[in-house]
Amino acid sequence: MIVGLKDSLKLIGVSILACCAVFVCTMFLNYYFDLRAVGDLVTDANAQALYDAQLLTSKVVILITGLCLALTAVVMLFFYIRHYIDAHKKQLGILKALGYADIKIASGFWTFGLSVFIGAAAGFALAFAVMPTFYATQNNEKLLPDMSVGFHGEILAYFVIIPTLIYASVAILYAYYKLKTPVIALLKDSVQYKNVKKRGNEREKTSFLTGVALNVLSGKKSLAFFIFFAAFCFSAMIQMGLSMRELASPMMEAIMIAIGVLLACTTLILAVVTAVKENAKTIALMRAYGYSQAECANAVLGVYRPFGLLGFAVGTVYQWGLLEMILALVFKNVETNYKFDFVAMAISFAVYVVVYEAILLLYALKLRKASLKQIMTE
Amino acid sequence: MIEAKGIFKTYGKGESAVEVLKGIDVSVSDGEFSVILGASGSGKSTLLNVISGLERPDKGQMLYDGMDICTLKDKEVTAFRRENVGFVFQQYYLLPNMTVDKNVRMGADLAQNKDYKEIIEAVGLADKLRKYPAELSGGEQQRVAIARALAKKPKFLFCDEPTGALDEETGRLTLDFMSNLQRQYGFSIIMVTHNANIARMADTVIRMNSGRVISVEKNADVKSAYEIEW
Ligand SMILES: Nc1ncnc2c1ncn2[C@@H]1O[C@H](COP(=O)(O)OP(=O)(O)OP(=O)(O)O)[C@@H](O)[C@H]1O
Ligand SMILES: [Mg+2]
Repeated sequence: MIVGLKDSLKLIGVSILACCAVFVCTMFLNYYFDLRAVGDLVTDANAQALYDAQLLTSKVVILITGLCLALTAVVMLFFYIRHYIDAHKKQLGILKALGYADIKIASGFWTFGLSVFIGAAAGFALAFAVMPTFYATQNNEKLLPDMSVGFHGEILAYFVIIPTLIYASVAILYAYYKLKTPVIALLKDSVQYKNVKKRGNEREKTSFLTGVALNVLSGKKSLAFFIFFAAFCFSAMIQMGLSMRELASPMMEAIMIAIGVLLACTTLILAVVTAVKENAKTIALMRAYGYSQAECANAVLGVYRPFGLLGFAVGTVYQWGLLEMILALVFKNVETNYKFDFVAMAISFAVYVVVYEAILLLYALKLRKASLKQIMTE
Repeated sequence: MIEAKGIFKTYGKGESAVEVLKGIDVSVSDGEFSVILGASGSGKSTLLNVISGLERPDKGQMLYDGMDICTLKDKEVTAFRRENVGFVFQQYYLLPNMTVDKNVRMGADLAQNKDYKEIIEAVGLADKLRKYPAELSGGEQQRVAIARALAKKPKFLFCDEPTGALDEETGRLTLDFMSNLQRQYGFSIIMVTHNANIARMADTVIRMNSGRVISVEKNADVKSAYEIEW
C-alpha cells in the first residue's frame, strides 16, 4: 500500500469536520423528514406557523453547515495530500522511475477517504444518540403532533456513503493531478527545486524577521485560509449561539457553541503545528544565533494573526446577517426583540484572543526543547 | 578568556548511555585562533556546542571572563549567544528559501549592523546578494555562512569543520580570509577540524581523544593558509 493506514488516520482534522457536519445535517434532515410526515396533522394556525418555521430553519441549517464544512473538508484534504506528496516525494519519484503508472500510484490514495468515513459514521451515530432529546426540545410547547425518531436509509447514503466515495475519488484525482510532476523534480531535493522560483524576500530593505514572515506566508498560503476559517467558525458559531438564546432551545445553543469551539481549535492547532513543522529549521537556527523565543514565534506564527482577526470580523457580520435573514423569513409573524449582541461579540472576541495566543505560547514553549543538531539532521 | 572546568556530558540514559565528555579542562585567551583536533567521535563537536552555550554540560563550569554560563537560565544563555557568539557549521545550515542578503542579515540584524554588506564584499559575494543558496557552489555557501556569523560582530567565532566539505583551493581561500578578518576585527576563533595541517595556522592546538583533552600546545610558528600542506 502506498499510503499507509496510519497516514490516513492522521487526518483527524478531516474526521472531526466530517463528524460535525454529518452530526448537524443528519439531525436536522431526519427531523425534517419526520416533521414533514406529520404535516397533515397540523391544523391550528399557531402550530402551522411553527411548523413552517421549523421546516425552513432545518433547510437553512443543513445548507449552511453542510456546505461550509464540506468545502473546508475538501480544502483540508487537498492540503494533506499535497503535504503528503511533498513529504514523500522521493519514494513516489522512485516508484515512478521504476515504471509505476501515475494512476496506479494515485489509486493508493483512496485510503484518505477513510478519514471521512470514520468522522461521518461517528457523526451519524452521535446524531441518533442525541435526537430523542432534540425532538423533545424542538416541541416543548406541545404545539406540534407527537413524533418519534424514524430511521431514513437515504440519510445514511447522503451523508456517510456518498461523501466517503466522493472524497476517496477526489483524493485519487487530486493525487493523480499532483503526480504529473516529472520524475526528476520528485527525486531532487524539494527545496532546491522549489525556491528558485520564489523571489519573495529579495528586496533588500526588509529586515530579516520580516523576510522570515513573508517567506512563511508565501510558503503556505492554505494555512492563512485555515486560520481565517477557524476564527470565522469560532466567531459565527459562538456569537450565534449566545445571541439565539431567545430564538432557539438551550440545546441548540450548546451544540452550536461546542461545534464552534471544536472546529476552531482543530483547525487552529492543525495550522500552528504545520507552520512550526515547516519552519523547524529556520527556528532552530534562529535560536542558536540568539533570537528569542518570542521573536521566533512571532515571525513564524504572528503573520497569521491578521487573517484570524479578519475571519473573526467576517464571522461576526455573517452570523448577524444570517440571524436577520432567518428572522425576516421565518419568524416574521412571531414577536422577537433580536438586536445585534455586542456583549456576545465582546465575550467571544476575548475568548478567541486568549485561545489563539495560548496556542501560540504552547508552541513557542515546545520550540525551546528541540536541539539544533536534531532538527538539522532530520 | 574562556575556561572550561571539569566538563562532563553523557548522552542517553541507563544501558544506552554514552559518556562523550569525561572531564574537560581547557582555556583559551581572547583574540586567539584555537584548533580542536581529534579522531571522529572523540567529542569535538559536543565540546564546541558546550563551550558556545548551545548545549548544557551535565557537570562542570563554562566560564567567560569568570562568569559561568551554565548557571544562566535558557533565556539568559540565548541573550548571551546573541551578544557574543557566532557559528559556522560544517553543513552550512543556510536558510534555503532566503537570499544571500537575508541569510547574512540574520546575523547582522542581531547586532544592528548596518554595514553588513562590507562583509559580504569581503567574502567576495557582492554580486550574489540576490541569489539563493541552491544557486551557489559549496564554497560560496560556506562563505555566506561565514559572513552571516561575522555580520553579527561576535566576540567568539565557533567553527565546526568549516572546510570539511570544500576542496583544497576553496578551503585555503576560506581559511585565509577567516584569519584576515580575525586580524581585522580581533575576535577569537575556536575551530574543530580533522585536518592536522590546519592546526599549523593556529595559536593554540587542543588535541582530544575519546572525551578527554590529551594535550594543549602553543604554536610558536604560525603559518598562513597558503603555507600549510593540505
Ligand atoms: N545526541 C546524541 N545522542 C547520543 N549520542 C551522541 C549524540 N551526539 C553525539 N553522540 C555521540 O557522542 C560521540 C561524540 O560525538 P561528536 O559529534 O562530539 O564527535 P566528533 O568528535 O565531533 O566527531 P566527528 O569528527 O565525526 O564530527 C559520538 O560517539 C556520538 O555517537
Ligand atoms: Mg563533529
